[in-house]
Amino acid sequence: MATVSVIDELKKAQILELLEQGKRIDGRALDEPRKILIEVNAIPKANGSAKVRLGDTEVLCGVKIQPDRPFPDMGDKGLFMCTAELLPLSHSTVETGPPRDDVIELARVVDRGIRESHMVDVAQLVIEKDKSVVGVFADIVSLDYDGNLFDACSYAATAALLTSKTPTWEMIDDKPTVVEGGEKQLPITTIPVSVTMGKIGNHIVVDPNGDEWDSMSARVTITTDSDGNICALQKGGSDGFTQEEINQCGDLSIKIGAKIRTQLKSTQEEYQKNG
Amino acid sequence: MADKRKYVIPGDIVTSGPFRPEQNVILEGNNIISTVVGISEIYEDSVKVIPLTGKYLPKIDDLVIGKVVSHTSLSWELDINSCYIGFLPAMDVFGRDFSTHSDELSSKLKTGDLVAARIANFDRTRDPLITISDRDLGKIDDGVLVKISTSKVPRLIGKKGSMIQMIENGTNAAVTIGQNGWVVVACESAEGLAKAKKAIEMVNEKAHIANLTDLIQDMLNEKDES
Repeated sequence: MATVSVIDELKKAQILELLEQGKRIDGRALDEPRKILIEVNAIPKANGSAKVRLGDTEVLCGVKIQPDRPFPDMGDKGLFMCTAELLPLSHSTVETGPPRDDVIELARVVDRGIRESHMVDVAQLVIEKDKSVVGVFADIVSLDYDGNLFDACSYAATAALLTSKTPTWEMIDDKPTVVEGGEKQLPITTIPVSVTMGKIGNHIVVDPNGDEWDSMSARVTITTDSDGNICALQKGGSDGFTQEEINQCGDLSIKIGAKIRTQLKSTQEEYQKNG
Repeated sequence: MADKRKYVIPGDIVTSGPFRPEQNVILEGNNIISTVVGISEIYEDSVKVIPLTGKYLPKIDDLVIGKVVSHTSLSWELDINSCYIGFLPAMDVFGRDFSTHSDELSSKLKTGDLVAARIANFDRTRDPLITISDRDLGKIDDGVLVKISTSKVPRLIGKKGSMIQMIENGTNAAVTIGQNGWVVVACESAEGLAKAKKAIEMVNEKAHIANLTDLIQDMLNEKDES
């Protein structure tokens, strides 16, 4: 059995035909993302977690915060790492086994978006310079797949980090030891939001669903920070974008990113208000 | 004659006694046990369970809708909504003088194409052999694929095709129903297409309702006026 999903040609033609009329197969506007549902603290025992549903795509992110050895060349900075994994329960074409290229790409794009926006201020995560630092690990699994895992994973990781609580450590006998009652928020500087756009024919669609994902010839994921600056970009697919299209995508990512950022922010505020 | 119909889940004892276990049941000792979620039917000398959900299990001579997912130099592989893949040999399409040197498979069917096909042979030990060399079979050029549950297919067809005829007459659409739960709807007008799709999805959701035929008829009429 094929392990990649194949879209039937008739549906592909239908999607393109609708796009020519300015419509999408699920009735959305071309620049309209699907409804986002964010449930933070979905894993009570984790330092932070979030379950995000983007249309019919659903992912779960858990954050683990623990002391670690710093990288030899970055003794004055804490660690941040983000991984992603596809579970076979999320789609019939997903198999167990080592991650495939697309999953490796997914993890890297989500990681890069958060890392390059400097969302987590890793300089504040040092317990003792060159000896011990705090490591923040965001691990994401997919629960349901209907296209655009990039954005779903990115929102889940961001929401989980925004609501994460970290213990405080101090060095006692050369070992990092937890300080009682020292629980605090992670040092957050900005809220990165990724927006993925696909190219079908000559049309740019925001947040492609599963069928659109299988029909598109190229895609681009652009991450913006709270100031509306583009901080990460990933292009995929065999087709190319013209300069105007890339400019259009950049504008879209800033415009739509701002809306999604408001939602992420209000989720964070609501969570903090309720303790 | 079927009596003692009841809902069963896997592990339920359907009955015990000298019955012949047929579909979706196993004989353990003297008990006949269901292996699926479904409705049990006890006949004079045999017992079977009609599953409520599940993948399609190929049966010889079934008409199915398949989607080409890949091909080798000798055959196509079709997704037929089953745990088995449909196997369509090139010779079936190109004829007996098929040659791997001169004939290119993707010239006839390429990945992503939908085909109406018939199960030519199947015995569970090998992937089902499929044929498209018959009248009304072959590549589907227009229409929309609607996926319904395999177990709802008989309901969609209705008694002697009554349900599907009603939908076709009410919408002017041509509906091809595969026994594997894939249905292709083709219609000249967009409204007819949408209505036929809605009717099929309604059958899929409300298959258990007794007066479904009336409901569908009402839905078909109601939209006509608006």
